[in-house]
Amino acid sequence: MELTPTLIINQMLFGLALGAVYILMACGLTIIFGLLDVVNFAHGTFYMLGAFAAFVIVSLFGNFWLGLASAVIIVGLIGWVTETYLIKPLYGKDPLYPLMLTFGFSVAVTDLMRGIFGTIGKTVPLPQIFTGSLMWEGIFIPKYRVFIIFLTLGVLIFLWYFFKKTNLGMIIRAATRDSLMVRTLGINVPRIWTFGFALGVGLAALAGGVNSTIQSALPDMGVEMTIECFVVVVIGGLGSLGGAILGGLIIGQVISFVSLLASDWSNVAIFITMLLILLVRTRGLFGEAGRL
Amino acid sequence: MKKSSWIIGSVFLFTLMLSGVASAKPIAALLFPLSGPFSAMGTDMKQGSELALEEINAKGGVLGQKAEVVMGDDEFKAPVAIRKYKEMVDGQGIKAIGGTLSGGISVAVNEWACKNKVLYMCFCHSSIPLGKEQCGYGFVSGMIPYQTGVATAKYAFQNLGKSWMIVTQDYRFGTDELSAWLTVSEKMGGKFLGNIYSPLGQVDYSAHIPKIAATNPEILVINVYGQSMDAIIKQLGEAGLTNKKMKFVIPKSHLWSIKAAGLIYNENFYGGHEYYWTLQDKFPKAKKFIEAYGKKYGVPPSQDADGGYTGTRALLEAMNAAKTTTDVAKLVKTLEGFKMDYNKGPEEFRACDHIRATSVVIVKGIGAKAKDWNFGEVVAEYPASETLESCENNKKDVPYGAVKLPGK
Repeated sequence: MELTPTLIINQMLFGLALGAVYILMACGLTIIFGLLDVVNFAHGTFYMLGAFAAFVIVSLFGNFWLGLASAVIIVGLIGWVTETYLIKPLYGKDPLYPLMLTFGFSVAVTDLMRGIFGTIGKTVPLPQIFTGSLMWEGIFIPKYRVFIIFLTLGVLIFLWYFFKKTNLGMIIRAATRDSLMVRTLGINVPRIWTFGFALGVGLAALAGGVNSTIQSALPDMGVEMTIECFVVVVIGGLGSLGGAILGGLIIGQVISFVSLLASDWSNVAIFITMLLILLVRTRGLFGEAGRL
Repeated sequence: MKKSSWIIGSVFLFTLMLSGVASAKPIAALLFPLSGPFSAMGTDMKQGSELALEEINAKGGVLGQKAEVVMGDDEFKAPVAIRKYKEMVDGQGIKAIGGTLSGGISVAVNEWACKNKVLYMCFCHSSIPLGKEQCGYGFVSGMIPYQTGVATAKYAFQNLGKSWMIVTQDYRFGTDELSAWLTVSEKMGGKFLGNIYSPLGQVDYSAHIPKIAATNPEILVINVYGQSMDAIIKQLGEAGLTNKKMKFVIPKSHLWSIKAAGLIYNENFYGGHEYYWTLQDKFPKAKKFIEAYGKKYGVPPSQDADGGYTGTRALLEAMNAAKTTTDVAKLVKTLEGFKMDYNKGPEEFRACDHIRATSVVIVKGIGAKAKDWNFGEVVAEYPASETLESCENNKKDVPYGAVKLPGK
């Protein structure tokens, strides 16, 4: 197989689209960790719930956009309830407790979904507008992947604006640094935490909804995604949004090019990349840059 | 005090009742991947087994008693499967085990069964009748992976083109299929353009699409199974490759993957099946199976459902014929050359290598014409005589076992 410039550009574009989904996932995980210090092992489970929520809504109403929006809202609400009733009582205790809780939550919810939806993959049809690829001089990329890239870009712009320019965003950032001080200003910090958790899992649900058209929604689909998402976050540096973005971009390109050159190494490659980066920077690329 | 005595008494009675229920001694242990990437197929397999068990019990059970069979989840992991089988063999005295849906896991379970002198009825595509894996205790109610490879490759080179590229799931099943395709390609003048190894459980194939598009083969062989198969078909469709000249051949296809693909699974798709439900038009006895399965589960049986049904029914009928549930030597002897007429006409377990000699069906996609469960049309059927190697060859694991695999 000859490595032509066209092939390399195509590979980069597909890698960018792959990375975009990881960015959505990793940003959600980062917000949760940065704000709550909770290592959310159920992040992939919320991704899976997003895919199923999109499937249910699209099946009922036949509208992809409604499905995608509903996935974020429905799963965000599930996240709200989860944080309020399950995670909140564990704040201030050993960090292992919320970690174990989210792990248990993921196992239980996966089994529950298996009981409800069975083991056969559920499909969300690709909207007609996104079928086929954009092509130019041998360079091509599926329209849907272009949508994923722009959607992620839009989400990142929103997150930047939200955290830097809005009062609520600034309060959240302040709460991640010194929640006691924010509390003394009369702000309901526990409510801020709940909102942050819902926002984080909402992003995972968005990624799940997006991927429900190109993969089948399955109860187990979140397991691998959780691991890959942690790799992205660790590469970028725990708690850093910039790190999550860079980590997602790196992993997308690593998977893409290793798939081209040595496909059987594509799974291992992300772990080797993580290992190499951690050897050089033990706290990840942006690990010391602070939070959010 | 009186109240607490009453509660304790009730709990004791309930426990006693439960222990009474559990005391019916199971005669076989079956495991399926009910979670993990093959869970949809594993569920089918379990349902096939349940139906066979139900039918056997309706006809009087095994050795005049209601047959009890333990069924569980192997989590698609060989260590889990072996641990659970061991628990049931050591703890409950079971001497016959069955199930599993993975070429790799079945080989590991077979090795364990051989060491422990336990009869193992594998329901999936498995290489346990080949070479050193052949130990005398393993039977296969599915088929050997190379059979679907041979059948689909023959069909493809005769009807679809010569240049081909393959995406191979990187484990025993996938590499066996790849060997078959390489062998048939050499014999029939095929032009091999490259292989892409895919890790087990992969669900995003987009990174391979530029390479596939740049290579532009006449035939792309999708040699992956489970949720990976759903994903790659959808992603090829997403990229717009499925509506062009390229043909897609899936050595082991599946009903659920075709359903999941929807309109993408069009006339350019060809899949190998050990069983396809429209065979009821050809074999009258299949009609009964399909009706019973449909009534119980609301869907037609897939090839994995057939593998589970055939393996379970044959195992239990062999116990009746051998008049034992625990004498492994007698059971093995009974199953060798065991004749069946279940869902695909008269068949048997070959005495020499314990493989169910069965045909491969090639099903072509029908795209927009698909309706209800009618996803495709059967365009060819290759009998076992055209896909199965001789006993001598299987014993030596030739020719497919001798193939040098690319990149290995």
